[in-house]
Amino acid sequence: MNKLFKNISIGFESIKSNFTRVFLTSIGLTIGIFTVSIVTAAVSSIDKEFAKSIQSIGNDKIYVGRMPWSFEFDWWNYRNRPEIKEEQLEYINQYSEFITQSSMKQNYWTRASYENKASWLQMNGVYPNYGEMLTGTKVINGRFFSENEWKLQRRVIIVGGSVREGFFEGKSPLGKKIRLGGVSFEIIGELEKTGSFTPTGSLDQVIIMPSTTFQRILTRWTWNEFVLQTSPNNINKAKEEVRLIMRVARKLKPEQEDNFAVNSADAFTKQFNQMKIAIAGMGLLVTGISLIVSGIGIMNVMFVSVRERTKEIGLRKAMGATNTDILIQFLSEAIAIAIIGGIAGIMLIRSTLYFLGTAIASFDFGGIEASSIDLQMDLLLTFYTFLVCVFLGLLAGFVPARTAANLNPIDALRHE
Amino acid sequence: MTKSRKEIIGIKSVSKIYNLGNTVVKALDNVSLSIFENDFISIMGPSGSGKSTLMNIIGCLDVPTKGSYKFNDEKISQMKDSQLADIRNQKIGFVFQTFNLLPKLNALQNVEVPLVYSNLNRYKRTEKAKEALKIVGLSNRINHKPNELSGGQRQRVAIARALVNNPSIILADEPTGNLDSKSGSEILNFFDDLHKAGNTLIIVTHEKTVAKRAKRRIEIFDGKITLDE
Repeated sequence: MNKLFKNISIGFESIKSNFTRVFLTSIGLTIGIFTVSIVTAAVSSIDKEFAKSIQSIGNDKIYVGRMPWSFEFDWWNYRNRPEIKEEQLEYINQYSEFITQSSMKQNYWTRASYENKASWLQMNGVYPNYGEMLTGTKVINGRFFSENEWKLQRRVIIVGGSVREGFFEGKSPLGKKIRLGGVSFEIIGELEKTGSFTPTGSLDQVIIMPSTTFQRILTRWTWNEFVLQTSPNNINKAKEEVRLIMRVARKLKPEQEDNFAVNSADAFTKQFNQMKIAIAGMGLLVTGISLIVSGIGIMNVMFVSVRERTKEIGLRKAMGATNTDILIQFLSEAIAIAIIGGIAGIMLIRSTLYFLGTAIASFDFGGIEASSIDLQMDLLLTFYTFLVCVFLGLLAGFVPARTAANLNPIDALRHE
Repeated sequence: MTKSRKEIIGIKSVSKIYNLGNTVVKALDNVSLSIFENDFISIMGPSGSGKSTLMNIIGCLDVPTKGSYKFNDEKISQMKDSQLADIRNQKIGFVFQTFNLLPKLNALQNVEVPLVYSNLNRYKRTEKAKEALKIVGLSNRINHKPNELSGGQRQRVAIARALVNNPSIILADEPTGNLDSKSGSEILNFFDDLHKAGNTLIIVTHEKTVAKRAKRRIEIFDGKITLDE
């Protein structure tokens, strides 16, 4: 054991005398470790953000609209589809087994203003029971509109979480009146701030009102959806059922394709996962390349080191060092170089995340909140980094170390 | 040179043959040699005579192509690399013409090098290395790096390194070749002392004056021993 530790420490000590060379060599590895950690951190924070969005869509809801939810930019395939109409919702209510609640949801982006402030917000015209179907966010202040207000087409609205900051400087918006497209509305409720995105926009920038009011003031084109409530276990059966009912409601012949889309969170999840795999894959590719390159760099420096120290190897062998002793000495040197690179990488990531965290906290990026971007670098990741470094050092150092170990002591001693 | 002394090295009809492309070089040709305890031997010969090859084989740095080599009745010619390393570590002390000290280590650390491979702990290593440096009279130079020492002092550090494991033989290859005559004779006097203290010494040299100091002289020419007296 004494011998083993000493061999390792001889290897480590040779680093000291050539520190500049070692440091330059290890930079490749530093960059590799840096990219892999940034990708991991990015993927995990996208993941968290996504989980929130999924929550606000709800895993127990079906959305029927003209277009499928998709990251692909292929809306032109669906642009000639007919509008979703309220009459078809009655079919669903009448014939469906799995749908327990349903609401129309009409969407329109409009200019909202209060005193001298203005902003673009998404108006949703919905049924009174939509309040019970809200998931991922709830009315935290005030109330949802009532059946009567819906019937009477009252100009009452429930506002998203960002309206308070945007228009009222953090004060309660209840009872205030804001103008939407030139018409004045009274705020009767406020939604919890979520900071999340859905395929239909952020819930923080939404204004919910009775669909009757929506239709009275807006006769222009709107973008309509049905929001249908079922239970998470029945979601697939319900989707199929709704699809068939919609086909009947639209009097589609068997050979005709669907001219509507039945959406739910799981389809969104599938697409999201594909995107995540693509990001992670790119990250791994870049990391892999930089690890290979830095491995070759370490190998190269190790060959130089073996060459420079040929005479020392010869002497050590004459003094009784075995091939294994020399092998361990040079492997330790290679591993030490890799670990130096790794440590530099970890320090680089830590400081980057620290500054990034400070930067995000001090700027407002639209709907994203500082707290929601949770870039983390935990102990486990540090440990894995360490393992990768040791492994890479072993791999890159093996051939040079074996060359050193197998040197003939007579020739090595004669080497100048 | 009485036969009653214990035989340390027994070389019987040893040949070493190098294949250099299409020419075959017989560096050693059927050499037999016995070395006994407390011998003080000089090996002389012109360059290319095979004296270095003989020295390498005696020093277990190389193995013979043919013949048998026994060291303390152990058959060296059939040993593995790691066993040879062990013999070199425990039984043989090397002294080189160019000293071969490691420049980044101080005198003490240089003397400790063989002890590292004897698997001793740090305290034992320091203790034994200090003892060896005391024998060569360099107790006051233990923290000096080789470039802070004179040629004679460097060679004495190298001798301390050779002595540190109490080897059965000390092999010196031109130990005075890189020294001025004053430090050279100092080193040779020191070898005399070592001989009187009971050590077995082999000195390879091409200087007659150095060779004369030895009690037994061996001359080698064209791979054959031509003189042994």
